[in-house]
Amino acid sequence: MFSLRLCGRRVVGSFAKPRLSLARLSGGSGAPRSPHFDVVVIGGGHAGSEAAAAAARCGSRTLLLTHRVDTIGQMSCNPSFGGIGKGHLMREVDALDGLCSRICDQSGVHYKVLNRRKGPAVWGLRAQIDRTLYKQNMQKEILNTPLLTIQEGAVEDLILVEPEPGHTGKCRVNGVVLADGSTVYAESVILTTGTFLRGMIIIGLERTPAGRLGDQPSIGLAQTLEKLGFVVGRLKTGTPPRIAKDSINFGILNKQMPDNPSVPFSFLHETVWIKPEDQLPCYLTHTNAKVDEIVLENLHLNSHIRETARGPRYCPSIESKVLRFPNRVHQVWLEPEGMDCDLIYPQGLSVTLPVELQEKMITCIRGLEKARMVHPGYGVQYDYFDPRQITPSLETHLVQRLFFAGQINGTTGYEEAAAQGVIAGINASLRVSRKPPFVISRTEGYIGVLIDDLTTLGTNEPYRMFTSRVEFRLSLRPDNADSRLTLRGYKEAGCVSQQRYERASWMKSLLEEGISVLKSIECSSPKWKKLIPSASMSVDKSLPLRALDVLKYEEVDMELLAQAVPEPLKKYTECRELAERLKIEAIYESALFHQQQEIEEVQRDEALQLPKDLDYLTLKDISLSDEAREKLHFSRPQTIGAASRIPGVTPAAVINLLRFVKNTQRGQATTSEVLQTGRHLRDTDQLQERL
Amino acid sequence: MWRGLWTLTARATHGLRRPCWRQASGTLGPGTGVTIFALSSGQGRCGVAVIRASGPASGPALRSLTAARDLPPARSARLRLLRDPCSGEPLDRALVLWFPGPQSFTGEDCAEFHVHGGPAVVSGVLQALSGVPGLRPAEAGEFTRRAFAHGKLSLTEVEGLADLIHAETEAQRRQALRQLDGELGRLCQDWAETLTRALAHVEAYIDFGEDDNLEEDVLERADIAVRGLEAALAAHLRDARRGQRLRSGAHVVVAGPPNAGKSSLVNLLSRKPVSIVSPEPGTTRDVLETPVDLAGFPALLSDTAGLREGVGPVEQEGVRRAWARWAGPDHGQAQTMGRARPWAGPALSPTFSFCWVYFPFFLNEKLPSFRWEFWGDLGTLSYASAWARPSFSCLATRALQGVDPGVFSCFLRLEQADLVLAVLDASDLGSPSSRNFLDTVVTPMGAQSPAGSGQRLLLVLNKLDLLPRQGLAPYPDLPPHLLLSCLSRQGLDGLLEALRQELAAVCGDPSAGPPLLTRARHRHHLQGCLEALGHYKEASDLALAAEALRVARGHLAHLTGGGGTEEVLNIIFRDFCVGK
Repeated sequence: MFSLRLCGRRVVGSFAKPRLSLARLSGGSGAPRSPHFDVVVIGGGHAGSEAAAAAARCGSRTLLLTHRVDTIGQMSCNPSFGGIGKGHLMREVDALDGLCSRICDQSGVHYKVLNRRKGPAVWGLRAQIDRTLYKQNMQKEILNTPLLTIQEGAVEDLILVEPEPGHTGKCRVNGVVLADGSTVYAESVILTTGTFLRGMIIIGLERTPAGRLGDQPSIGLAQTLEKLGFVVGRLKTGTPPRIAKDSINFGILNKQMPDNPSVPFSFLHETVWIKPEDQLPCYLTHTNAKVDEIVLENLHLNSHIRETARGPRYCPSIESKVLRFPNRVHQVWLEPEGMDCDLIYPQGLSVTLPVELQEKMITCIRGLEKARMVHPGYGVQYDYFDPRQITPSLETHLVQRLFFAGQINGTTGYEEAAAQGVIAGINASLRVSRKPPFVISRTEGYIGVLIDDLTTLGTNEPYRMFTSRVEFRLSLRPDNADSRLTLRGYKEAGCVSQQRYERASWMKSLLEEGISVLKSIECSSPKWKKLIPSASMSVDKSLPLRALDVLKYEEVDMELLAQAVPEPLKKYTECRELAERLKIEAIYESALFHQQQEIEEVQRDEALQLPKDLDYLTLKDISLSDEAREKLHFSRPQTIGAASRIPGVTPAAVINLLRFVKNTQRGQATTSEVLQTGRHLRDTDQLQERL
Repeated sequence: MWRGLWTLTARATHGLRRPCWRQASGTLGPGTGVTIFALSSGQGRCGVAVIRASGPASGPALRSLTAARDLPPARSARLRLLRDPCSGEPLDRALVLWFPGPQSFTGEDCAEFHVHGGPAVVSGVLQALSGVPGLRPAEAGEFTRRAFAHGKLSLTEVEGLADLIHAETEAQRRQALRQLDGELGRLCQDWAETLTRALAHVEAYIDFGEDDNLEEDVLERADIAVRGLEAALAAHLRDARRGQRLRSGAHVVVAGPPNAGKSSLVNLLSRKPVSIVSPEPGTTRDVLETPVDLAGFPALLSDTAGLREGVGPVEQEGVRRAWARWAGPDHGQAQTMGRARPWAGPALSPTFSFCWVYFPFFLNEKLPSFRWEFWGDLGTLSYASAWARPSFSCLATRALQGVDPGVFSCFLRLEQADLVLAVLDASDLGSPSSRNFLDTVVTPMGAQSPAGSGQRLLLVLNKLDLLPRQGLAPYPDLPPHLLLSCLSRQGLDGLLEALRQELAAVCGDPSAGPPLLTRARHRHHLQGCLEALGHYKEASDLALAAEALRVARGHLAHLTGGGGTEEVLNIIFRDFCVGK
């Protein structure tokens, strides 16, 4: 069933300590001949590579198991990273020292910040990426990560043992069984198998079992997990056909040029690897009535569209666009797949029609009249696990030390996958070293919103990040991701390099200092007007204005302000990033001031942890409705805050839950004693301890 | 759905802390966050009501209501005159207490106001508090929850609390349903829908504007919707402010021809002489107000001079004041009307005078706003009404056809009435003024009331003592009525019972829910919504503009529910072809 061709071929990419990790194998307690790792990551996609790298950064000996090493870093769908909301996620991944942002800065062919005129809180960093370069750079990075070992192999089963006390879950994962029958022992296992779990590729009426085109689906593993009682759902997604570059008439199409200068994704980078003038343009074309006609006339040949597996409410494919918004013109972006690649990715043209109809449809479109289709578009249907079965640290409720990340949790997109990968990697590692989990709250980052939405509400369509999902959008901006997450990542998770940590703390302290200096400078508005004549402030206000208030005006920036008040402001214009960030802080100052209280209220609820081992279904002397019990049982919220966000859990139920927080706190005294005797410590307790 | 009931309630409340980044797991000590207030004693009538505020702004709130520079000594009761800090209007003489945290019920700074238990007073104090910056009405169980968070409650206390909160939210839900069933509820729903849609469109423009082709005018349409909404909210709140000045209540208008004994009835109901009574018609010359307890319903009783042809300068002045009071600065339309034709002039014919009683209940907000526009000479009055209650528009049409400004003025007062107490002289039913009154007011309203229009009428035939021994002379088409003698108090019990029944039907059972609280919240959130919409216009970037709409929608969500992320996304995906 599985190709065993590559099983067992191990690529040892780590130069520093590979021998150490292998040496330890023989000393392993249970199975002397099987290798033993702290963390095993199954799957080498975007979630898997981030997870493996993060776990290794945290100091865990990590093994990445993938079908094929040469597909690590493969961008299987669109040739771009970032965008609105997704760009935010990438900045946060970078703030935790994740890989994708840095790799994108080395591999892009067209960098552009979206939403430039809509405010810095919703700027969307995006880049068209050269697939080949990205893959090369990612593999170089992964193979050179200390403590990280890469091995090819298909995982057939999990090794499960008795659960450890004090945690929920019917068993604990202790390693994996490969398709060749060999075993690898692990303290934690991260599953990032993407669409490979019973993946089915569909073109027209044809269906082929597989994940990405040409890859093997993981069926054995899917069965094991289902047997364990995981609730499985099915989702569908799709990808457009690829078109030969030289067959497109770009001359008649709208050209979109990249930004000049390019804005890098990573906090560590001043600029990207390529000059703006060397970057490639994108082109815009539109569908027309003929496209509609082809789609509508051939619905009977389109099983992907007709079937019930849930697609999203938004319009992922040209078929859904035509069906739901008929008689309209839809945009098609023609995006380069790379510098030396002669393929073009027609963004917006995702389609599952039979191949010859796809070709016919493409040639109806302006500029594509003579286009040659190189690969057809196709649809994918795949299993995902209801994400309410995992905790905010991405560990499953059912199996201790088993973590899920990426598409397997019902998300879509590289960035969403990468974000989960980092969190899963960190937590798998922290779990091994018995440290409290690293959870990002809704108030701290887009990653927090993503994971909280998934774990409390679940999803029934491929979950994609939008800025509209984020309550505290004005606070959680791309510019300040490092202030929000880098310091925590360094101190609590240990996943951040010293260099990055120092840079982030330096920036944070300068920002705070800068803001307080800007607040301390006060003048009357006529005086400001005299100092900065171009500012559009009204002079009739008698109240004195702070420099920070002046900086709010669109036409004022730090440079201008520092010219007006050189002392003490000059020093804050020396670093361009600092000057820009101060300006952004000024724009949102008053709104943030109001939002802060709300954030605090949410945090207050998040600080109230619920015991993990609460059996909601059988709990007596507590008045909970059956509905609330079911929901709580399924989602297992970790905090009062998460519980109150679950639909169907009423305020009265929440109050009842508060009792248990009290109980937990009471129980803490006893656990602290346990800690002193060196035994296991519960997460919440240690958290309290730290505070 | 209770999502974010506690955590997402504090939008737009002004904080005292500067932004700073905190760790998610940080616990917060007392002295942070918003300040909440609520009526802590039970709902319904009681001798003393306790209103409690908790949070960092409790101290400033206490100072601003008592107009004192210093806080009273900690944990000791002081008698203070409470005033509305905005209007300066005295509210009550009350005991105030100051509990600095952490030695307080919630562990935070707390203030308590022990006020007289009448809903008018309680409502006044609650409204005054909601006007203090940094304060907002508490959600169900929020006090106890804060107490719990600060370790001030035992486990057993918390167990009981869950049931209490359940009951409270149930009651609020029922209350909200009752309230939302009416015209105001429909208005709120409409506003919420408009706002959610505008918000969804702005959000769509942010999230998808660059990649997908949205229509060009998405933002423009949102702007128009927000402008319209702002105007509607502002108009509504202006209207409600008038109600607030009158201590907002279910109004009862006592109407009748001159010298039917309206003032005597008012005096009888208030159990002390409020109005000067005399056998002469037109005795009442000025506006007099006093709070009374009527048939179990606390009320503020007003008696105004009748509008009649000037008899002497003093009376004319009283008449003028009565009109000025009615057509005050809050009432733009009436002012215009007043300017068009002076009311206390020879054009006024003596018909009947009236006084009114109104009951301070939230239900007044159920009254639709009336907007009247008048053109031309009063002699040929015609009207165009924007919203009018059926019974009243019918009345008004009839009255206006009759072109009798006196009757018309009475109708304008009847506009505010939930219950009309029509008083007639039982011994003088045949007189032209009595007959006129019966024809123009009693009969049309009597015809309307069974239809459940909301306005009720009690016909009281006064001066029972003057009737001959054989009783009331047979009178054609006399509607159901009560007989009363203000002098001998004969028939008073029957009247009180009838009043109680009518008012209970009009106001709902005051013990069934927390109407005052609901009302305070209502205003608070509508006001907050309006303020946020103001910020939308001023916003310098789209993210800020969208934030303003989110805050505004958050306020309406307290009245109508909904408006969450999923709802917004649903609208986005329904209205726009987006996604990839």
